[in-house]
Amino acid sequence: MRKVGAVMVVGGGIAGIQASLDLADSGFKVYLVEKEPSIGGVMTQLDKTFPTNDCAMCILAPKLVGAGRHPNIELVPYSELKKVEGEEGDFKVTLNRKAMRVDPEKCTGCGDCAQKCPVSAIDKYNEGLGERKGIFILYSQAVPLVFAIDKEKCLGCGICAEVCKAEAIRYDEEDTEVEVEVGSIILAPGFEEFDPRIVTEYGYGRYPNVVTSIEFERILSATGPYRGTVLRPSDGELPRKVAFLQCVGSRDDRVGNPYCSGVCCMYAIKEAVIAEEHNPGLEPTIFFMDIRAFGKEFDDYYARAEEERGVRFIRCRVSHTDQEPDSKDLYVTYVEDGEVKKERFDMVVLSVGMNPPADADKLADIMGFELNDYGFAKTGLFTPLETTRPGVYVCGAFASPKDIPDSVAQASGAAAKAGRAIASQRGTLITSAEYPAERDISGEEPRVGVFVCHCGINIGGVVDVPEVVEYARALPGVAYVERNLYTCSQDTQESIKEKILENSLNRVVVASCTPRTHEPMFRATLQEAGLNPYLFEMANIRDQCSWVHMHQPEAATEKAKDLVRMAVAKARLIQPLKKPRIDVTPAALVIGGGLSGMTAALELADQGIETHLVEKEDELGGNLRRIKFVLGGEDPQAKLGELVGRVKGHENIRVHIGTRVEDIQGYIGNFETTLLSKAGEEAVKHGVVILATGGVEYQPSEYLYGEDDGVMTQLELEEKLVEGFSPDTVVMIQCVGSRCEERPYCSRICCNDAVKNALKVKEANPCSEVFVLYKDMRTYGFNEDYYRKAAKEGVLFIRYDDEHKPEVTNDGGLRVRVLDPVLNEDIVIEPDALVLSAGVLPALDNQRLAGLLKVPLSKDGFFLEAHMKLRPLDFATDGVFLCGMAHGPKAIDESISQACGAAARAMTILSKETLETEGAIARVNEDLCSGCRMCEGVCEFNAVEMVEQDGEVHSHILEELCKGCGVCAATCPSGAITAGHFTDGEILAQVRAALTEVSR
Amino acid sequence: MTDFEPKIVGFLCNWCSYAGADLAGVSRFQYPPNLRVIRVMCSGRVHPAHIMEAFKNGADGVLVAGCHPPNDCHYISGNLKAQRRVALLKMLMAQLGLDPERLRLEWISAAEGDKFARVIREMVSNLKELGPSPLHDSEAVIAGDD
Amino acid sequence: MAFEPNIVGFLCNWCSYAGADLAGVSRIQYPTNLRVIRVMCSGRVEPAVVLSILAEGADGVMITGCHIGDCHYIDGNLHAKRKYELTRRLVEKTGLKTGRLRLEWVSAAEGQRFADLVNDFTEQIRELGPSPLSGTTPDLGLLLKVRAAKAAAEGFRLRALVGKEEKTVTDGNVYGEEVTQEEWDKVMTESVETEYSRHRIHIALTEAPGSVKELSEKLGMGSQAVLEHIVALRQLGWVDVQEIRGTSPVYVTMEVPQ
Repeated sequence: MRKVGAVMVVGGGIAGIQASLDLADSGFKVYLVEKEPSIGGVMTQLDKTFPTNDCAMCILAPKLVGAGRHPNIELVPYSELKKVEGEEGDFKVTLNRKAMRVDPEKCTGCGDCAQKCPVSAIDKYNEGLGERKGIFILYSQAVPLVFAIDKEKCLGCGICAEVCKAEAIRYDEEDTEVEVEVGSIILAPGFEEFDPRIVTEYGYGRYPNVVTSIEFERILSATGPYRGTVLRPSDGELPRKVAFLQCVGSRDDRVGNPYCSGVCCMYAIKEAVIAEEHNPGLEPTIFFMDIRAFGKEFDDYYARAEEERGVRFIRCRVSHTDQEPDSKDLYVTYVEDGEVKKERFDMVVLSVGMNPPADADKLADIMGFELNDYGFAKTGLFTPLETTRPGVYVCGAFASPKDIPDSVAQASGAAAKAGRAIASQRGTLITSAEYPAERDISGEEPRVGVFVCHCGINIGGVVDVPEVVEYARALPGVAYVERNLYTCSQDTQESIKEKILENSLNRVVVASCTPRTHEPMFRATLQEAGLNPYLFEMANIRDQCSWVHMHQPEAATEKAKDLVRMAVAKARLIQPLKKPRIDVTPAALVIGGGLSGMTAALELADQGIETHLVEKEDELGGNLRRIKFVLGGEDPQAKLGELVGRVKGHENIRVHIGTRVEDIQGYIGNFETTLLSKAGEEAVKHGVVILATGGVEYQPSEYLYGEDDGVMTQLELEEKLVEGFSPDTVVMIQCVGSRCEERPYCSRICCNDAVKNALKVKEANPCSEVFVLYKDMRTYGFNEDYYRKAAKEGVLFIRYDDEHKPEVTNDGGLRVRVLDPVLNEDIVIEPDALVLSAGVLPALDNQRLAGLLKVPLSKDGFFLEAHMKLRPLDFATDGVFLCGMAHGPKAIDESISQACGAAARAMTILSKETLETEGAIARVNEDLCSGCRMCEGVCEFNAVEMVEQDGEVHSHILEELCKGCGVCAATCPSGAITAGHFTDGEILAQVRAALTEVSR
Repeated sequence: MTDFEPKIVGFLCNWCSYAGADLAGVSRFQYPPNLRVIRVMCSGRVHPAHIMEAFKNGADGVLVAGCHPPNDCHYISGNLKAQRRVALLKMLMAQLGLDPERLRLEWISAAEGDKFARVIREMVSNLKELGPSPLHDSEAVIAGDD
Repeated sequence: MAFEPNIVGFLCNWCSYAGADLAGVSRIQYPTNLRVIRVMCSGRVEPAVVLSILAEGADGVMITGCHIGDCHYIDGNLHAKRKYELTRRLVEKTGLKTGRLRLEWVSAAEGQRFADLVNDFTEQIRELGPSPLSGTTPDLGLLLKVRAAKAAAEGFRLRALVGKEEKTVTDGNVYGEEVTQEEWDKVMTESVETEYSRHRIHIALTEAPGSVKELSEKLGMGSQAVLEHIVALRQLGWVDVQEIRGTSPVYVTMEVPQ
């Protein structure tokens, strides 16, 4: 059967971008289809992200740019699916590409057109709180940076074409049909915000000071309408009291969304904290039913918000909101402790839930896959990445509502699945750039070519470009100068190449826009002309000069000259750099033989990678061995059996049971590990490590556990239930060993487990009484259904808090005494079984493994990933990945997603014979090194090793691990470390050139 | 001294602050043209010697700008290193008779074009009040052919 | 003393100015209130010029050109009509009576018609009385409004729209689609309202920094609308926050980009 080595990713949000990058980095051609003119999705609209309060754009922008210029990713913006034919491995997809009416090849993104466009339209990016023009980009940092005409709004006056110096406007462009052939399809269309106009009692749409959480996100953002100061939309005043209403369009049967959206509690807490940061003195109040802070370090964030940041939390459901007509103040009516209360607020934020994308039905229809009851893609607990149509995979919020890191992990997982299906076609559809041999410039005097850009009128309208050109001509080392209307245009690239050859240039300076977007392109031009790509420097005379000094043409011209002088001063000193290539051992080591480890191993093995699966126990399966049934009715033991069978029988997997990892040496691509088993030591070589060490159930020391036979953990109950145990009265206590002083984190799975076991008890014995004593029920996502079902079947949920913990005694029978907060009196239950929802602890071996691999642990003892938001499966140390409970407590489907994701991340390395790494890295001059180890201490990437040579210890940079930040060079007291491309000499030359006229 | 136009050298990290400066441009936020930017990959790359070289060559002010702590740094903790170095250098500057106000450390994210413009406006106005650097008249170092 | 209106008349060189000359040659008598400015074409008379004349205290402005079809420059008078319409819309915004404006076609042969028009318009103005902006104590509130209208008329957006109107409405747009006068008017109405309001706010802030609430009271504009305009003005770099006073950000003007 024919297979195509390309993948289509539908949806250019963070999930789609991650899936695309992983696939493109492992040898597949990717078509990234986005319905808007630019990729980025909802994350581009966010101000900060929880729980780290990272600036969303700061962490997203590198990924946007990475996807935008990846040679294996073809962006297909402003497009929608029309038809899908074929089958797994060989699809033919027809897309409708909407006319942008701007030629993407010619548009430089300068924005002159939008400045002059006389038509205003609603700014979707700012949620209607600002205005954009009839010709627009979605947001300032848009990728691709190409304007589009909003045909709905456009008058057709023709002004944009008149002002566009790049002649990029194409009024006659029509929608086009595009056909592409791909082997796999990944769906990542994201979600739609719930429209709160439906819930009329909150007044959204009628009261100006009632806003949605996403609108509030824009209000908080420095790039938003109010530049980050929170203001009331009705009158521009700073609000003091801001109410956040949770579960708007979530956990609400009336609006058809009984499920929990899973993210709103956290983003509301974040918005409350950030709002107070932006407007000191602001008093946020969050009205909630349960705070579902179930993710990694979320509870900690919740606690800090309440205790340190003064966020007020009120547990209730708000009945309605009224507006005082004159002041536009809002009155929130709610019931607390049985009492109806009414409180005044300046502003109300509705924490709106996630709906499936508006076009989900259409998508399902075209693609031929099924949706679940709520319109999200239908998946299974053990198949979280597969839709019902083979070859079509899903990730992100469309699979089920989820936050960014879960989306990113799942996106990598979907990439693994998509890649595995067409693994035989890896590398068949990608092109690698071929460059001529590099010219050796050693010994040559610097001959700098300077190209100054007019950027239409963007630079030339302010800066006197001819004057800058004349100035540059006289600078030392400059051999050639010219100016261009657009230095970035394709014909100028050709001309730059010619000028390099004609004038024997050995350095190139372009004075135009920002290197952050344009340096890679110019470097490629140098390479095409036979020059090392590092022999290039940019002077940013647009973004940081002409655009910000529009009314001071003379001063701007002087500044532009200075910037060119600085760039030339640096250019004269820069040296060609080699990007180190390292060999990759095409093998993997997976530590941990539970569900995650086995899943990761199979994903890799199926893609032809020799995989060592190490399990310390004598049997594979980990915690899954103890799980007898699951919510939703699938048979976990059958699945386990299947999995173990496949692992053991796989030709590419070597299972090492009863084995311990003794030692790990080496680095990305080249690890060597010593395994120890009863059979003795064995050394294995591999290119990557995946940590899937799992977690263990907490052994309670409270509530008479271990003293009374009637007291058991949920896992123990589960084992008994399958053996026919059928108690009449059961009490379950949640958060045993979790969310306590010693372990402040939430174990994420226990609420679902309790509901699962409660339903099982009820199923066996409908007359039984089941009490669940909880702090917050955290049945996030679609599991809310089971929580509701349990309540309907008579399971009693009684909330307790830390001040009123249940009391358990046994004087001739188990007695549980707990305060019922509704009745406000103690109730006493005499259960047959007291079941403790014991938390999840990190694996005992984590500490030791972390030491061996030099990777960090979180303060809770789980492994700490490279970045909590966007690199959930990576470590700062390249070539080491994590998944499953090693990362933190998680459910079966989440562990599978992560395991597949870790495999996809690993494949970005293992799919290559050699890896090219950054060339601008640190180097040590051993003669100067005193061996003080300071560099070792400051390097976050374990790229410094101390080596002994001739009896002296000195530092050595592992070039394959160095990221080129230069921190070590700035730390070294002996001046022994050079930061490539940012050497002291280069920086100092720039400093001097900035301040001193060069002697002519 | 109304004519005095301070010279400022700015070291901006590539990932956040340089991006923030670009965003100020894209948003057309206007600020005075007194700044000369040197792009570094990380604010942690900036050595006190780089800053002192700027003062030695007649800079009236120096800006070091990086990603917001604790988590925005592309290199995990380079910004914290910058923070420590700047704090130390400010102490040293005081001893050298150079007003520590002339050195400014700022966290500017890729979304804070507005803040970038504001910081430059503030710096220029503060430096105008402080007047020219006392090192202004010391021997000029000739850059170029070194 | 009887009110003697000050009227400024823009006469196109080829038809109307010749018509006025003919009135003289024919010794046709008409009131002395008109002060004539000769222009080569009535299409030359831009709204900002008319508005600044009104701001100076003129009691009336009359624009005359060739009859439709007779324009020496083919369609200059058609543009004059469009521009006049924009002027009228802006004047309407300020509250100044639109009866102080007049556009007429006078050919080189219509000496009598010219004299009649001057008569008629002078009478009309006499009835309206002196402009509230004339004399030694002009209505300062109105003056600020007229200045805002003038600034709006000078801005790129309205100039561009009025410049494109004739061609687009007559010949269709760049897509070859027909654009009706109603469709165009809808955009014009919106744009005039927006530009005028923004300049009102900008001018008010030039007078004195203020908060949204203060601006809303001062200008009689809804505070939500004022905030929306402030958002746009900040984006344009025309205004910024000066300080936060209590719970109110106070806005101040910045140097206006050209």
